[in-house]
Amino acid sequence: MASRLAAKEKDEAAVDMTPMLDIVFIMLIFFIVTATFVKQSGLEVIRPEAQTAQDQRRVSILIAIGPGDSVWMDNKEVDVRAVRAGVEKLLAENPLGSVVIQADKKSKSGILMQVMDQVRQAGAPATAISTAKE
Amino acid sequence: MARRHKAGADEAEVDMTPMLDIVFIMLIFFIVTATFINERGLDVTRPDSDEPPPETKNVTILVSISEVGIISMEGRDIDVRAVRANVERLIAENPDSSVVVQAHPQSESNLMVGVMDQARLAGAAGVSIAELQ
Repeated sequence: MASRLAAKEKDEAAVDMTPMLDIVFIMLIFFIVTATFVKQSGLEVIRPEAQTAQDQRRVSILIAIGPGDSVWMDNKEVDVRAVRAGVEKLLAENPLGSVVIQADKKSKSGILMQVMDQVRQAGAPATAISTAKE
Repeated sequence: MARRHKAGADEAEVDMTPMLDIVFIMLIFFIVTATFINERGLDVTRPDSDEPPPETKNVTILVSISEVGIISMEGRDIDVRAVRANVERLIAENPDSSVVVQAHPQSESNLMVGVMDQARLAGAAGVSIAELQ
């Protein structure tokens, strides 16, 4: 009696782990593929509103322009002339990533255009201005 | 001989526990570092500031924003909400025309984005921005 019970317990203990392993591997592959290491700008801005905005795909670099025309990227405040070098460096890590410029409502158009020029000179595949839903 | 065969069956059961540990640790790492950012934005095209704009047959609709935020089209000062109607009218005359927003460097970017949005709502083929000289 005792030996039969022990044998049954031992059998039950060996659970078939194959389906769980399959699921875990699929989840692992999904997260590896979708992993995008986004370079946050490090500044929270109030975005202008727009109705025709589209969802941006493959965003990898965020550049923020504060209300006082300070330019932030990669969690640091940078000079507007240094944006090109910074974007080039970050693009080398992820060549297909696009750039989104988060300009505050109160920032000046001049600085936004300078940043856009710098980003374009750096060879970013796409540039967009971040907006909020109206 | 039969005993050797049994030993072979035992060897086939590889201990998967270390691999499972590693896989779980990788899974947790990728879950934690996964950032799903959803940015919405206007795609922008900007003419090269160094070279003159290419010669095209298309008529360009100019919308300028002054230093103090006055929007003007065709010599008239208009409200930002009226940009759409004006651009729609000009597009109806010349369907292939594109819109160029000329913003003064000191104007607020909120206004520039607003004008671009209005022009896109009006159905302009291309909206580009330039600096007002």
